[in-house]
Amino acid sequence: MDKVKVNMFVNGKPVSLEVKPYARLLDVLREDLGLTGTKEGCGVGECGACTVIVDGETVNTCLTLAASMDGKHITTIEGLMENEKLHPIQEAFIKHNALQCGFCTPGLIMSAKALLDSNPNPSTEQIKVAISGNLCRCTGYEQVVDAIKEVAEKSK
Amino acid sequence: MPLMGQKNFRVLNKPVTRVDALDKVTGRAQYAADLNFPNMLYGGCLRSGLSHANIVKIDTSKAKAIPGVKAVLTAADVPKPKSWADYYYLADKIRYIGDVVAIVAAESKEALSDALKAIEVEYEELPGVYTIDEALEPNAVQVREKGVGLVDGIPTPGTKGNAFLESYFPIRKGNVEEAFKKCDVIIEREYRTQFIEHSYIEPEACVAVSNPVDGTMTVYSSSQNPHFSRRYIADALQIPMNKARLVQQTLGGSFGGKEELVGLTVGRAALLAKATGQPVKMVLNREESFLESSKRHPFRIRYKVGATKDGKILAFEGQLVDNAGAYNNQTQFMNCRASIHSAGVYNIPNVKTDTFGVFTNNIHGGAMRGYSSPQIIFAQESLMEELAEALNMDPIELRRKNLLKQGDLTITSQKLVQPTIISEMLDHVLEKTDFVAKREAYNKQTGSKQKGIGLVTCYRGAGLGAETVDASGAFITALEDGSVLINSGTAENGQGLKTAYSQIVAETLGVKVEDIHHIGVDTHAIPDSGMTVASRGTVMGAQSMKKAAEKLKILILETAKEMLNASPLDEVIIEDSVCFLKSEPSRSVSLGEVCNNRLWAGKQLAVYEWFEPKPLNPDHHTGQGDVFPTYAYACVVAEVEVDLETGYVDVLKVTAAHDCGTVINPATAKGQIYGGIAMGMGFACTEEVEVNKGKLRTKNFDSYIFPTAVDVPEMDAILFECDDTEGTFGAKSLGEPATEAVGAAIANAVNSVLVRTKGERLRRLPFDLERVVLGKSLRAGGNA
Amino acid sequence: MMRFNYFRPASVKEACKLLNQHQSEAKVIAGGTDLMVQVRDEDKKLAGMKTVIDVSHINELRYIQEEGNVIRIGAIVTHDQIFRSPILKSAAPLLPEACNTVGSPQIRHRGTIGGSICNASPAADPVPALVALNAEVKLESVRGERVVPMVDIFEKPYKTNIGADELLTEISFKRLSDASKTAFIKLGRRKALAIARMNVAVVLELDDQGIVTEARIAPGSVLPRPGRVSEAEEVLIGQKPTAELIELASKKVSAVMIERSGVRWSTPYKEPVIAVLTRRALNQALGVE
Ligand code: FES
Ligand code: FES
Repeated sequence: MDKVKVNMFVNGKPVSLEVKPYARLLDVLREDLGLTGTKEGCGVGECGACTVIVDGETVNTCLTLAASMDGKHITTIEGLMENEKLHPIQEAFIKHNALQCGFCTPGLIMSAKALLDSNPNPSTEQIKVAISGNLCRCTGYEQVVDAIKEVAEKSK
Repeated sequence: MPLMGQKNFRVLNKPVTRVDALDKVTGRAQYAADLNFPNMLYGGCLRSGLSHANIVKIDTSKAKAIPGVKAVLTAADVPKPKSWADYYYLADKIRYIGDVVAIVAAESKEALSDALKAIEVEYEELPGVYTIDEALEPNAVQVREKGVGLVDGIPTPGTKGNAFLESYFPIRKGNVEEAFKKCDVIIEREYRTQFIEHSYIEPEACVAVSNPVDGTMTVYSSSQNPHFSRRYIADALQIPMNKARLVQQTLGGSFGGKEELVGLTVGRAALLAKATGQPVKMVLNREESFLESSKRHPFRIRYKVGATKDGKILAFEGQLVDNAGAYNNQTQFMNCRASIHSAGVYNIPNVKTDTFGVFTNNIHGGAMRGYSSPQIIFAQESLMEELAEALNMDPIELRRKNLLKQGDLTITSQKLVQPTIISEMLDHVLEKTDFVAKREAYNKQTGSKQKGIGLVTCYRGAGLGAETVDASGAFITALEDGSVLINSGTAENGQGLKTAYSQIVAETLGVKVEDIHHIGVDTHAIPDSGMTVASRGTVMGAQSMKKAAEKLKILILETAKEMLNASPLDEVIIEDSVCFLKSEPSRSVSLGEVCNNRLWAGKQLAVYEWFEPKPLNPDHHTGQGDVFPTYAYACVVAEVEVDLETGYVDVLKVTAAHDCGTVINPATAKGQIYGGIAMGMGFACTEEVEVNKGKLRTKNFDSYIFPTAVDVPEMDAILFECDDTEGTFGAKSLGEPATEAVGAAIANAVNSVLVRTKGERLRRLPFDLERVVLGKSLRAGGNA
Repeated sequence: MMRFNYFRPASVKEACKLLNQHQSEAKVIAGGTDLMVQVRDEDKKLAGMKTVIDVSHINELRYIQEEGNVIRIGAIVTHDQIFRSPILKSAAPLLPEACNTVGSPQIRHRGTIGGSICNASPAADPVPALVALNAEVKLESVRGERVVPMVDIFEKPYKTNIGADELLTEISFKRLSDASKTAFIKLGRRKALAIARMNVAVVLELDDQGIVTEARIAPGSVLPRPGRVSEAEEVLIGQKPTAELIELASKKVSAVMIERSGVRWSTPYKEPVIAVLTRRALNQALGVE
């Protein structure tokens, strides 16, 4: 099977790769690019641990063919810090104890970021909907919602 | 001292930031599946898809011939196919759907998957037993050699059957036969629960790397209990334990579940690494995890309870049977706890209960957050509602009349010497939730969607108690710059153990939390401290950490005194990593200076301390005696709206009050409670691993349904404290209490609606759409 | 995990050429939210698949337009884009509502309307809404194009009669009149990431006297093939929608379910509950309750 050439932008940097035609974006990020902050929890689009932002929108990388990412801008958890400075959402997650085992955390943070980038002032309900594709078995989401709320309120 | 906040601590009681938070929010934390090594191979497992079968023939030749395939192993190829913990690394016969027939290591995932498909196995399917009822039928297929039969409802050696003898725990207190004669009201009921998946979001993973020079096999893994996983390496390879090393990676949730299957996976990866001489990574997919990981044991619970007409419970009898599955290494410990808690948080003079597991050709029960308590509290607290109904009495009154108080005897006749604050908690929660008024108002509802409110009171023996020894060890090293390294054999599983331990050391030693680094478990670097289970990490596991910090403090003070020229009467204080004179605080020296001084003076800077709990020796034939050092109490109220026409249960609010003894960290304590509420909600409403003749219909999160962010209720976590002298700084267990009462409270709330509107009550979980509408499940039957 | 070749055509023409070349060995992928799950499971449905043709880069298929009173939606428009479309909000509000109940935000960002139809899952949320809109689909191939009523392409669960060389390129339907009343109701086991246990879409039109002039009732997950239940619609047409008639129409849906699907393991639950959902949808559309 012929490999497929993909030119994409990952965390702001252009990346040019030859990928297997059936490779999932998840595997390419984790294995070819070493970006292991994106996790696999279910492989079927349910848990959201594999969430990244593609052209401003969250997607499940376990259901995305890497080959289809030509020309796309991809942001992973590794792309959130700027100059070694934490993103406000990351800071809020720390402050509000919004994580326990942390396996769902990168995905949750990506969902929160996509939300706040497009809607800096979401309601609590909108926050919950935005993270409804991210399963967390540890936190009950309460402190996660608190953290995102705080970032939203600060931007007011 | 009811609510948190009246104790005087510097570091405890404060919402200190989790010490692992930064790694986790940046994606830098390394979970087992994130590791890569040069020349690494991918390992995988072949399962049969059958629940009970003989393996007639295995042909691996085609698989071995595939380019890139480095090893294909079956039971015939390994020194010890059966693990020390009952389960098989490689099965010689299929006893349940999770059994593994062959393992493969290959250079690519593609070659691995091709090889697994190319292995040819011939099976001969066998009839099996799957449910508790089937297992107990006379002449049922005997699943295990060691199974025994029942005589008068009691597992009896020397007979044949499916009962798991070692898992039998009786309670005999007083004389139930006589007591029932004095009761005005007696009811008998049966309750059942389902298989529950832990659903940690990280599936099991490990990488095995052998050192060809010294023969050490190192496995980096997602183990809940690293020292137990080490045992699987040594066992599978038949090497000495000092050549088996396990390093725990950041763990993506466990809740009791990453024990047996992780151990087996570690063993299998080690076998492949040995066979190939190359590192082998084994990452399970979610379906494999569902097939082979342990589940919450389904229970069939039969109760008979009797009370006087004014509501004093006099006699309690029960038979609690759990489905252990085809193999088990937990039921024989878990049922100890189950038996001790079989009659709830009530003062009952006469109790007779029998608790035991049965073997089936089903998926297996294991440890899961609560370790039998969610199931039993559901039954127990449903029973209280039904007894109140039979007595025509307010269930709150019934509880008040019977709740244990300080000085009372539990069903094991243990005298409660520590503060027993459940009645106080009940009153507080009733008021905070406006329970009585809401209940009244809800009684007047009409229409197809109706609200209900439900209440639960319960308690939990803290730590391991009589299940097994609750000892622990901890290591602290002070360094010459004043920073401190700590480590313990108990593990960070996401619950916040490293943060709690850092706070405990900071409080004890007077060092800043930021100056402490908790290393994590490498079995070559820190001795075994027993398993990280039973919500024991803080209450008991940290005792050794505190002891070590106290010891180190004495050493540091000795030098600080010298350096500060303190008079013999002067006291030196350490706070925020600075040592100073109590009488003249401006005379101070930094902790770093003190440590540096000790280092160059050749004085001890590292301490390893061991904590041995006081002995507990209950009588195994009667279950009588002291069984836990102390108990943690809880009162939970759930409010729901039931759609009577569709069966949808909307959980609106859960108020959970927990007796924490001492709250180490309110933020992480609440985190436990919130997560516990969500998990309890799933247990009550939607979660069930559906099995049909041992085959799973629920294998991933598309069909195994637990709450999302839009499903969870409004939550109110109430932290109580008391002056308990048993746990570390007076702390009690919380991780498991956080979830154990929630399902029962939701069940009581839903049943309050169903009893009112339909005169019916559900006695089997989960209360899913079909069960609420029809009173029965339409899912594949036969779980419990 | 299945393995396959990958093509990324830039135009419908190119896609059709590829489909013609590869015929039944090719599957079309757009968002991948259904196909990738089947790929991972090595679903029997994909047996013989050697190639995927990724249409997600064919920008000419990404549009929501109104021409006259006809709404046209390009096949690769995502559920999320439908949810956010102002045109659809006014022209067919039940469709954005239905699309907004699909899976999760992540799924709605990638999953497409065309994919949802072609996957032919009986539980697909947008499908009942499209059925109630009397939607048509355009199928293109090197042989030409044809426009057919959407309901005609469904053969059985997870199977359509779309030709191996055909590409579904457009979904179209007539804008609903301002007087139309609509509702979409979904019942799942949880509030997000839920597969519809059942769902139902309704469209009603009433005249000045409050007489029902048009009724379309499309239940999901209960019929062997998606479709309207004319037996239930007829109960309402020409009548004032009283509570009794609504009840009667709703019960008809249950009866028709059993007629068309037979009695199955789930019938004891679905029979009463699809009637409840239909009643609720009709009432919601009418603004009752
Ligand atoms: S791994 Fe992609 S959603 Fe679970
Ligand atoms: S923190 Fe463990 S799954 Fe979310």
